[in-house]
Amino acid sequence: MRGHGNLLGLYVPGNSALHRTPLWLKVLLSVLLSTAVLAARAPEATAAGLAVVTLALTIGAHTPAVQLGKTVLPLLPVLGLLLAYQGFTNGPVPAFVTAGNILVCVLAARVLTLTTPGQELLDGVVFVARPVRAVGGDPERFGLALSILMRSIPYLAGSLLDVRDAARARGLERSVRATVVPVVVSAVAYAHRTGEALAARGLGEDDRPTPGA
Amino acid sequence: MTGSTHDRDPPVIEFDRVAVRVPADAGTVDAGTVDARAVDAGDGQRAILHGLTLSLTEPRIAIIGANGSGKSTLLKLINGLVLPSSGSVTSAGLDTRHRGRDVRRRVGFIFTDPLSQLVMPTGREDVELSLRGRIRRPAERRFAAVEVLERFGIADLADRSIYDLSGGERQLLAIAVVAAVEPSILVADEPTTLLDLRNENRVRETLRGVADQLIFTTHNLSFALDSDRCLVVDGGRVAFDGAPPDAVTFYRRLCAA
Repeated sequence: MRGHGNLLGLYVPGNSALHRTPLWLKVLLSVLLSTAVLAARAPEATAAGLAVVTLALTIGAHTPAVQLGKTVLPLLPVLGLLLAYQGFTNGPVPAFVTAGNILVCVLAARVLTLTTPGQELLDGVVFVARPVRAVGGDPERFGLALSILMRSIPYLAGSLLDVRDAARARGLERSVRATVVPVVVSAVAYAHRTGEALAARGLGEDDRPTPGA
Repeated sequence: MTGSTHDRDPPVIEFDRVAVRVPADAGTVDAGTVDARAVDAGDGQRAILHGLTLSLTEPRIAIIGANGSGKSTLLKLINGLVLPSSGSVTSAGLDTRHRGRDVRRRVGFIFTDPLSQLVMPTGREDVELSLRGRIRRPAERRFAAVEVLERFGIADLADRSIYDLSGGERQLLAIAVVAAVEPSILVADEPTTLLDLRNENRVRETLRGVADQLIFTTHNLSFALDSDRCLVVDGGRVAFDGAPPDAVTFYRRLCAA
């Protein structure tokens, strides 16, 4: 299985200014920036937002430009479709604002994931999710589920590329079925194995004592 | 390699008239959970294991047998990942049906494919995840995780993506992740199957000191000989139970028949 963690914005160890910044401050700045560009709905604000996240990633987090490009790459098909649709229906400036604002929000979130170790993010999520206890929920499980979700993205991306290579090797590169079906089957098997591994490690189990324990 | 500090439970595993049955069509959709080849038990059910009464007390126990013979299901019964359809399994004095969570705290499980086992992006984070229930303060947990990795001689893997590691490195990491919670029993399902000879030797050596009792399945007969007792599983039953050299001889004859 290939690794695609960096491509999808998972944590990259480092000692940059943003790596040293506390999680709460990074979350606050990301939310403020995203809210500001979404509220302004102006091309100047979008351009400024894009400049800020690009500088934050390249200078603040020491992300190489090539890596940054690879991080944006998976978004391009969706953003391209959005640009084309909005450009056709509302004109080029609203199209730039809509697609640009989405990019700002995604990159602001990636600043968090690229510069914060998974366990620190998990601690943060568990802290924020404390109120779910009031309705019988378990913040640890909530945080664990989010961590598993993030860890699963690179696995599934790798699975897609492996399956595509296997289809190519059999001369089936044009067959959507030969790609989609194995990826779905692999995803289900992966979910099953992950659940079993978590159960085997006692993770995500109820912490309350078993009757009679 | 590593020693436990908490009170040990007696490393005893008891199987009392254990049978595992699944719906007749389960093997095709659930082959990851249960061994796929099974015996027709009637009533639309297939028997994966049947008539199993065992007491496992030796420090190192090997289980050998053909693919689909029931080895993996037998292992998963030990820590309650699979529950018996009838009969009972007791691990470290605890019934796996009623005390599953407590059993899993005492019984560590190593999977054949370590990538299935590792759920965090880096090794250190995965060990930290194991330690979350024991150490609440993040800084202490981080320190303890690095200590665990150092103990296993893999501190250099701490911050590397699990996807960038070799198969041997991943398996060593998976062992460290399980050993971090100091299980008294370690169960390993073909832990060396995907490894080259050098990594196989390293993993075998590492497994030696992790827990008071090691129970493993393997297709490597030299690994099976490196045990105190060896079971041969065939068609959902224990076909031989005894000294490893005799078990291997029995298994060779069984395969040749």
